[in-house]
Amino acid sequence: MKRSREEAASELFAALYPRLAGWCRRLVDDDGTAHEIASEAFTRLWARWTSVAEPRGFLYVTAANLVRDHWRKLERERRAVRRATVEAAVRPGTEQADPSVRLLVQSLPERLRVPILLHYYADMPIREVSVLTGRKEGTVKADLHAARELLRAQLRRSVDHTL
Amino acid sequence: MITHSDDGPDFDPDDPLAVILRPPSDLLGPPAGRYEAIRRGAVRRKLLRAAAGAGLLGAVTAAVALPVLLAPPERPASPTVPLAPPSVSGPPSVSGPPTPSGPPPSPSSGPVESRPADTGPSESSGTQGSPPEVAPGNPPTRAATSAPTSVPTPVPTPLQPSEAGRTPGATPGSG
Repeated sequence: MKRSREEAASELFAALYPRLAGWCRRLVDDDGTAHEIASEAFTRLWARWTSVAEPRGFLYVTAANLVRDHWRKLERERRAVRRATVEAAVRPGTEQADPSVRLLVQSLPERLRVPILLHYYADMPIREVSVLTGRKEGTVKADLHAARELLRAQLRRSVDHTL
Repeated sequence: MITHSDDGPDFDPDDPLAVILRPPSDLLGPPAGRYEAIRRGAVRRKLLRAAAGAGLLGAVTAAVALPVLLAPPERPASPTVPLAPPSVSGPPSVSGPPTPSGPPPSPSSGPVESRPADTGPSESSGTQGSPPEVAPGNPPTRAATSAPTSVPTPVPTPLQPSEAGRTPGATPGSG
């Protein structure tokens, strides 16, 4: 029993960790932070291994929340440094996160972000997303549609802003 | 790799959303020993959570049980002494039946003796003609409460205005 659980955990790690860490890498500044976030997501998963029905979804949603916390922490630190020193010296130009993916996590409300994460990044069909979120399949489709529209609008706005 | 929705593709390939929702092609392999470190951390966290849960449960149990255990034992309620039945030899004005054969009360002693002792001192001294208070359920008898005259007269006697205020119970209509 314990042996099979250990094997399942090992297989899950081998299958999902590289993708999850790669996805995190698009969102944060460096490899170290991406590994930290992915590791923390796996730690939380295995700390409650028996009570998580869908590990993939759990990992991606947890990682997205951790990434958001990381951004908030960075923002607090930046604000503190900006208050203490000259603003020009700490211009936030060192950010390497993929701005488009960042937009995904940052601009969408959680209700819309979770289906997008599960469907497009955790590779789950709508039926599974529906079971995992406790929403009807039609509701999940409507949520995905609303999220895409919102992202489109945000993208258009950011493009206009750059021009 | 990406599972599209059951309705077909969500957007065109040249849609700007395809940039955002593209499959995570860049993989980041785990460093050596990362798996074992994560497993150890998960086991440690699981134990911590179990310990915290047990501690919380113990604290809640103690918080509920201690006041019950430390409370002084309740003594059994002492049986109440039943009340004595009302004595037959009580005050004649209240409980005693009218005794037509007895000697008629004198005008001076009748109302004073029949008045209960718990009436205020001002009432006993100031209102001579007021009817005495009686216990509920025992209607005052005319002979005991208001009989200032020595001989009962069937015909009402006219009273002087000064006497009417003092002896209201003497008239038949006032009883």
